[in-house]
Amino acid sequence: MRVALSGITVRFGELMAVDDVSLTIEPGEIHAILGENGAGKTTLMNALFGLVRLAAGTITIDGTERRWSSPQDAIRAGLGMVHQHFMLQDTMTVLENIVLCAEPVGRLGFVDFATARRRLHEKAETHGISLPLGRQVGALSVGEKQVVEILKLLYRDAEVLILDEPTSVLTPEEKDRLFSVLRSFRAEGKAIVLITHKLDEVMESADRVSVMRGGRLVSSSPLAATSKERIGREIIGGELPSPRTRGEYRPGETVLSVEGLRIASRAGSVGPISFEVRAGEILGIAGVSGNGQAELVQALVGLKRPLSGEIALFGRRLDTLDIAARRRIGMSYIPEDRQRTGLALAATVSENANAGREDARAYTRGPFLNRAAMARFARGLIDRYRIRVAGPHARAATMSGGNKQKLVVGRELARATPLTIAENPTWGVDIGAMDFIHGELMRMRDEGHAVLLVSTELDEILALSDRILVMYEGRIAGEVAGREADRERIGRLMTSRAEALPEVA
Amino acid sequence: MSARGIASGEALSWIGAAAAILAVFFLLMLMVGAPVGEALQGFFNGAFGGRRFSYLMTTLSRAALIIGMAVSVMLSFRAGLFNIGGEGQLVAGGLVAALAAILLPGPPLLVLVVSILAAMLAGAVWALLAGVLQLYVGVPLLVGSLLLNYPARYIASYLVAHPFRDVQSGMLQSHLVPQDMWLPYFPGTRLDIGILLIGFVAVGAIVYSYTTLHGYRARMNGLSPDFARAVGLPVTRLALSTLAMSGAIAGLVGAVAVFGIHHRYIDGMLVQPLYAWTGIIAVLLVGMAPWAVPLSGLFFAAVQTGAAGMERAAGVPKEIALIMQAVIILFVATRVSGALLASSERRGADGA
Repeated sequence: MRVALSGITVRFGELMAVDDVSLTIEPGEIHAILGENGAGKTTLMNALFGLVRLAAGTITIDGTERRWSSPQDAIRAGLGMVHQHFMLQDTMTVLENIVLCAEPVGRLGFVDFATARRRLHEKAETHGISLPLGRQVGALSVGEKQVVEILKLLYRDAEVLILDEPTSVLTPEEKDRLFSVLRSFRAEGKAIVLITHKLDEVMESADRVSVMRGGRLVSSSPLAATSKERIGREIIGGELPSPRTRGEYRPGETVLSVEGLRIASRAGSVGPISFEVRAGEILGIAGVSGNGQAELVQALVGLKRPLSGEIALFGRRLDTLDIAARRRIGMSYIPEDRQRTGLALAATVSENANAGREDARAYTRGPFLNRAAMARFARGLIDRYRIRVAGPHARAATMSGGNKQKLVVGRELARATPLTIAENPTWGVDIGAMDFIHGELMRMRDEGHAVLLVSTELDEILALSDRILVMYEGRIAGEVAGREADRERIGRLMTSRAEALPEVA
Repeated sequence: MSARGIASGEALSWIGAAAAILAVFFLLMLMVGAPVGEALQGFFNGAFGGRRFSYLMTTLSRAALIIGMAVSVMLSFRAGLFNIGGEGQLVAGGLVAALAAILLPGPPLLVLVVSILAAMLAGAVWALLAGVLQLYVGVPLLVGSLLLNYPARYIASYLVAHPFRDVQSGMLQSHLVPQDMWLPYFPGTRLDIGILLIGFVAVGAIVYSYTTLHGYRARMNGLSPDFARAVGLPVTRLALSTLAMSGAIAGLVGAVAVFGIHHRYIDGMLVQPLYAWTGIIAVLLVGMAPWAVPLSGLFFAAVQTGAAGMERAAGVPKEIALIMQAVIILFVATRVSGALLASSERRGADGA
């Protein structure tokens, strides 16, 4: 199936989200669309998929012009999309999720799950996918959930598969597996559109590369006809940021100490975990998502009560204190999920920026809010962290992902607490924002604060950490010094504890 | 779409809703053979007219109770607390107000003030009970607050049917509260000054929602509980204090009904008119926007008294009047929430 987009334009109010973009998606091809957050990649694909209305332009499929009144039309025409935020029902099984809205109905009106199961098995097998169909989706890892999303498309016989940032949550291994599945699709003549901002994986697997910036298409060419450097320049409209230089590693006193911490988790329990974070260092915790990092962070921050063990900040026991008290003593938290935990999206930027400040007197008069002071503070963050937004009174939801994250990071780092806990702080943000956030974390370290960086992104861990702990199955599988860290060894620690003997503290 | 385009589209759909209401109205009148003009006149007269505006006063008196309950619910809902136990809190307030006024000795004005405060306390305690059940026992607030309505109702029924019954009256009701505690009427009307109390509370609640630290924090909790927790807002305290405020306002409404309208506790007097539930609908209708809650409450009161007026004036059967009432609410509700939805989509659309 050949899809031609011609002159596609999408407007959101005053904003030109996609501006006169023409693009062809060929069958049997992996087509990567690159660009920073807010460049219009996702909006362009949403337009193709019938999720947003076109201000101008046409969609042509196999030579006939098509118009969708809803995504259902697009699905019937053979398009399929995996969104960055998964669209799954956690309490339903894999099979139920896959057939949802496309159920084979038996003669008596009941859903014919047996037929569905058979069909699915055939399709999954041809592409080398295996997944327990009866499991509840909530119990799956992020990588497995993504496979469910892909199976959904397969089950609907999609000929054009659009994947939005599919690898941002995957381990190196899961990533390889995903790409081998995608190659298998390609061999079958399906067209695959990959929205991403990871250059490396594009270089590895794409056939054609299109770059977008500011809503416009900058270039679209076969991979062989371009280069990594050229694509990089096209994405940011200038030179790539130079590699980060770091100040000398001078660890100071112990800020956070964790001793024998055990936390309940879905899969039983996490721990015991013991480690220390010292002033002037970034301690990276690497690991595949779902190996106890989330539980660890929740226990440290105070969102979850540990089963046993001790958490201390400057020797002061934290584990019986609530979140507010911990923050007052000297802890900041950059949560992984900016949509729900990091921000209240329906509230304004100013309301979001001030919510984490424990010194309420700075923005109140008696029981009343001092809106001017709140806006002043928000404006300070907007300027200092170069957040692109209409102003303090704009809704948080109107910002792009990278700018939302900058607001969260700004709010937390502005508190300049001795300890900052950052949980996947650059998940799904563009190169510019990522570089900026990394710079800020590094600045905190150089100024003598302690930073605990929990990330599933190995590159991020390697770029920032002074010491690296690797978590596997709820335990610390090993420690590696940041300088001598090599990807292979950490990769092994991430997947098996047995490898991790000598360095274990 | 341009701003003008949206505005005219809005106006058009309101005209459409009005036309639909009228169409159903004609159809219903035709069906029961009632005179259309008289029924229509009866409706507006019943809501806003009457000799010396007596019906308007009835509407206002009813509106006061509905607005009070709506404000109570609004505070909880905005904080993300699905407290649907307004009825129980209202009954607790009304009952305690009547009993305190009957039983307490002392100068009338003092007893009146103490009784009103006691009613507010009773409402607050009843609401807090649901909060404690959620926070410490794990019963979801939605369930706990709803289930607590029944004990409140039945305890009240029992008390006025047995220990505190005015036996001579032959009805299930308490004795009258002493006459010098009755809330005075506005001169020349049958509207008591309770509406001033409710108005004061409503204004206070609006100011609270938009301008205070507590209101801001409660709203953050309502918009995203995970966010509120993670940034260290005192969420437990916020929930309990908000519930206490809600309950106290519901209790006050109960006291106003006792001292202003019925002058005693009559079994079912706060339950059968569905004040609490109408309050919830009134809040949902305007998407919990504080400034619009009083208007919404007034609208519901007017539709109810108007329907009663139609029944009186044109001999329309009560059930038909009730159908008409439901139809009006249905069309207006879809229009209002449609407009709110469209405006929130417009605001969110920039998030590319």
